[in-house]
Amino acid sequence: MDAQITIPQSRQDNTFQRLVRTFRVSAWLGWQIEANWADPLVFAIYALIKPLASAAIIVVMYGIITQGDFGQPIFAYIFIGNAFYIYVGQVMSGVSWAVIDDREHYRMLKYVYIAPIHIPTYLLGRGVAKFVFASISVFVTLLAGVLFLQIPLDLLQVDWLLFIVSLAIGVNMLALMGLMLGSIVLLLVNHSFGMGEAVAGALYLFSGAIFPLEVLPEWIRWVGFIMPVTYWLELIRRALLPDIAAGFPTLASLSNGQLLGIMLGLTVFFAVAAFLTFNYCDREARERGYIDRTTNY
Amino acid sequence: MTLTAKVTKHSGLRLFLMTVFGRAYPRMVGMLRERSWMLWEIILPILGVSAYVFIYRAIGAPEIYIGFVVMGGAMTAFWLNVLWSMSSQLYWEKEMGNLSLYIMAPNSMMGILLGMAVGGLFFAGQRALVITIVGSWIFGVSYEVVSYWQLFAVFMLTMVALYGLGMMTSSLFLLLSREAWHLANLAQEPIYLASGFYFPVKNLTFWVAAGASIIPLTMGMDAMRQLVFPDGSSLGFLSVDIEIAILVGLSVLFVVGAKLMLDYMERLAIREGRLTESKR
Amino acid sequence: MDLAVKTQDLSRIYKIRGGKKEEAKELVALDHVSVEIKRGELFGLLGPNGAGKTTLIKILTTLLSPTSGVATVGGIDVAKEPHNVRPIINMVSGGESSGYGLLTVRENLWMFAQFYGIPTKVANERIKELLGIVGLGDRDNTKSSDLSTGLRQKMNIVRGFLTDPEVLFLDEPTLGLDVGASRDVRHFVRGWVDENKGDKTLLLTTHYMVEADELCDRVAIINQGRVLACDTPSRLKRNLQRDAIFKLEVSPLNGAGTGSFEKLAGVRQVTHQAQDGQSILEFILEEEDVLGRVVNTMTNQDIHIFNLEKREATLEDVFVDLVGKSMKEVEGDSDS
Ligand SMILES: Nc1ncnc2c1ncn2[C@@H]1O[C@H](COP(=O)(O)OP(=O)(O)OP(=O)(O)O)[C@@H](O)[C@H]1O
Ligand SMILES: [Mg+2]
Repeated sequence: MDAQITIPQSRQDNTFQRLVRTFRVSAWLGWQIEANWADPLVFAIYALIKPLASAAIIVVMYGIITQGDFGQPIFAYIFIGNAFYIYVGQVMSGVSWAVIDDREHYRMLKYVYIAPIHIPTYLLGRGVAKFVFASISVFVTLLAGVLFLQIPLDLLQVDWLLFIVSLAIGVNMLALMGLMLGSIVLLLVNHSFGMGEAVAGALYLFSGAIFPLEVLPEWIRWVGFIMPVTYWLELIRRALLPDIAAGFPTLASLSNGQLLGIMLGLTVFFAVAAFLTFNYCDREARERGYIDRTTNY
Repeated sequence: MTLTAKVTKHSGLRLFLMTVFGRAYPRMVGMLRERSWMLWEIILPILGVSAYVFIYRAIGAPEIYIGFVVMGGAMTAFWLNVLWSMSSQLYWEKEMGNLSLYIMAPNSMMGILLGMAVGGLFFAGQRALVITIVGSWIFGVSYEVVSYWQLFAVFMLTMVALYGLGMMTSSLFLLLSREAWHLANLAQEPIYLASGFYFPVKNLTFWVAAGASIIPLTMGMDAMRQLVFPDGSSLGFLSVDIEIAILVGLSVLFVVGAKLMLDYMERLAIREGRLTESKR
Repeated sequence: MDLAVKTQDLSRIYKIRGGKKEEAKELVALDHVSVEIKRGELFGLLGPNGAGKTTLIKILTTLLSPTSGVATVGGIDVAKEPHNVRPIINMVSGGESSGYGLLTVRENLWMFAQFYGIPTKVANERIKELLGIVGLGDRDNTKSSDLSTGLRQKMNIVRGFLTDPEVLFLDEPTLGLDVGASRDVRHFVRGWVDENKGDKTLLLTTHYMVEADELCDRVAIINQGRVLACDTPSRLKRNLQRDAIFKLEVSPLNGAGTGSFEKLAGVRQVTHQAQDGQSILEFILEEEDVLGRVVNTMTNQDIHIFNLEKREATLEDVFVDLVGKSMKEVEGDSDS
C-alpha cells in the first residue's frame, strides 16, 4: 500500500487564485459576523446611532460656541472631516479586531492559521463588511448635514472622478494601516474594547479631520504631514466642497495631482510597512506561542 | 496522601470581602503583567481628548470649555470601564467557563461584580488621573475649587451610583451573549453625547438633560464642573445641592436595583439553562 | 443527613429554538430520574454522549433548574435554596479550563479559595499539598495559559478538592488525561472518599466502563435521560453472570447484519463491530449450549471463525443488555 494522497485539481490553485479565494471567504465571514442585516437594531446601532451621535457631539460643541451659526466654512470643514473619518475607525478596527475576535472569542485563529490561506489577505477581507457599514454611516451623516445643518454640498459641483479615485486609494490605505495594527495585536492581550477605534481616536488629533493643522502647536504639526489620512481628507473635501476646501491654507499649495501622488506614495509605503510588520509579528507570535492563547482577565 | 490542612471557611461579610478581593486580584495583577494597557488606557486616550480640545480652539471657544473637555475625557475612563470591564465582562466569563463556577460558589455575584469594579477602578482611576493631570498641564486649565467637601461627596456618590448601574446592567448580560456587545456599543457615543462629556449638559435643553441624568455621570460631571472651574456654576444645569440629592437617590436606586435584578436574572438564567451555554 | 443526593422524578426539558421562524422543539434530557446517593458513597453515572449526565450534574450544582421533580443535595432542595447548597458542593468538569490564563496556577486556585471563604494561609497549604498529589508541585508558578491540556485539567481537579466540599461532582474528570494521570486521579478520588470515612460523597460521570467498574461503589446506567439500572457494579453484572458471553472474531459480515443471529432462540443480544477487515461479534447467550446454534448459522452463511473466547461480564455488557446496543453504537446513531 503505497497510497499517496492526491490533491484534487481544484485545490492546486496558483497564488493569485489562493489570494482571491482567501479574500472572498474572509469577506463573507466578516459579513456574516458583522452585518447582521436581519436584525434592524444591530443595523441601527452601528450604521446610524453611533456615527450620528459622534457627529452630534461635535455639532453641539460648535453650536454652543457659535450660537448655532452653521453657515461658516469651518463648520463644513469639520463636519465633512468628521464624517469621512468614520472610515478610519471602522476599516482599521474591522481588520485588526478580527485577530482578537478569532483568537479569543471564536477560538479559531489557530484553525485559520493552519488553513492553506494567506493570512494578511484574510485579515484584510475581514474589514470589507465594516467598510460597507461605514459607507452607509458616512452617507447618512452627510445627508443629515445637508438637510439640517446647511452643509453646502451640491451634487452638480462634486468632482466625482476625484472623489472616487481618492476614496478607493484611501480605503486601501486604511485597510493596510489596519493590517499593521492587527499584526501588532497578534502580540498583545485583549483589552476588550475596540483597539482600532482607540487608535483612530488618537490619530483624529493629527489628521486635520476636525480642525486645520495650523491649530496644533508647531512642534507636533509634522505628525499630521506624514499621516496619509490628512491628504486623503483634503482630497475628499476638494472633491465634494471645492469652495470650502480652498478657504483653508494648510495644503493649498499642492495640486490635486500632487496630493494624489503623495497619498499613493504613502499607501505604497504603508503596504510595504504593513507586510513587514505582519511578517515580524507573525514570526514573533508563533515563536512565543501566542496564536491560540486567550488573555482575558 | 491524607490532606493535613484543616479547612476553615468564612461566610457572611467576611466571605463577601474575600470574594471582592479575589476577583479584583486578577485585574490588578493583569495590569502589572501586561504593560501594553498603558498605551491603550492612557496614551491613546490623551491624544483622543486633545482632539476635542483643539476643536474648541479652532472655533475660538472660551478657556473654560477646555477644562470641560479635559474633565469629560477623564471621566470617560469610568464609563468605558463600567461598560466593557463590568457589564459585558460577564459575557467573556461565560465563554471562558468561569461564570458557572462563580454562580456555583457560595459567594454572592455582587461580590464578584464589585471585585471586577474595584480591579477595574485601578485602571480607570489611573487613566482618569493621568488625563486630568496631563491634560490640565498641557492645556493650562485653571481650577478654583469652591468646596472640597462637596467635591469629594459628588465624586464618591457618582462612583457608587455608576458602579451600581454597572452591576445592574451586568445582570442583563447574564442572559445575553453577542447582543451584549451591541448594547455596550450602543451606550458609548450616544451617552458621550447625552451626558455632556464634552460640553455643558445644560445646552441640551432641560428635558434631554433631565433624561440623561439617569446616567450618574451626567449629574456627577455637571456638579464637579460647577465646583472646580472658576465661573463654572454659570454653565451648570441644576444647583450642586440638588444634584447631590439626585446622586444619593440614584445610588440607592442602582445598588438596590442591582441586587434585585441580579437575583432575578440568576434565577431566570438557571431556569432557561443559559448559564453555561456558549454561542461562539 | 444520611442521603447526600436524592432526586425524585427529576425531569429536564430543553426548548430548542430552531433557526428563524421555526417552531421550538423540545428535547427531553432527563426523564423522571430517581436516584439516591448515600453519604460517603462514590457514585458513578455511566452513559453514552447525550445521555443527560451533564444535565443532571448541572441541576445538582444549582446551575440549571429542573422542569419537574425534586432534587436535594445534603437534604437541601437545589431549586429552592441554592445558596444553602453552594457552600457544601463543588464541581469539576473535564475538558474545560477555569480561571484566567494570565494568573499562575497558584493564584487561580487561591482566587477560587477566596470565593469559598477559605483564609489565604489555609488555602495556600492545601494548594501546595494538592498540587503535590497530582504531580503539579513544581508548576505552581506557571501561568495557567502555559499549561498543557492535561495539566490544566489537573489544576481544575485540584480546584474541586481545594474547597473541601461535602459533595463533589466530577463530570468526566479524566477527559484529556493520559493513562498514567487518569490512574492517579482515580486513585486519589478513591482515597479521598475512603479516608473521610463516610463523610464525603462523590458523584462522577464517565463513559469509560473501567472507570465506573473499578472505581465506583454504585453505578447508575443512564441512556436518553432515563436511569435504566442502579446498583453496585458487581450486582449489576451478576444478573449476567449466569449468561454466557462470547466474543467471536469472524470473516467480514459484509452488510449481512446480525439479524439472523438475533432470531435464534437463546440469543439475548448481539453486537457487531468491524475491525481490521474482520468482524467482531459479541453474544450474550442465555446458556452456553446456544453457542452451537450460533456456530451452525455461521457455517451455513460461510462465515469463518478466527477466534472465539468466553469472557466475564463487564458493565459494557450490562449496558448492551439493557439498551440492546453498545455505547459506541448508541453514540454513532446520534451522530447521524
Ligand atoms: N442548553 C441546552 N439546550 C438544549 N439542549 C441541550 C442543552 N444542554 C444539553 N442539551 C441536550 O440534552 C441532552 C443531554 O445532554 P448532556 O450534556 O446532559 O449529555 P451528557 O450525558 O453529559 O453527554 P456527554 O457524554 O456527551 O457529555 C443532549 O441531547 C444535549 O444535546
Ligand atoms: Mg457531559
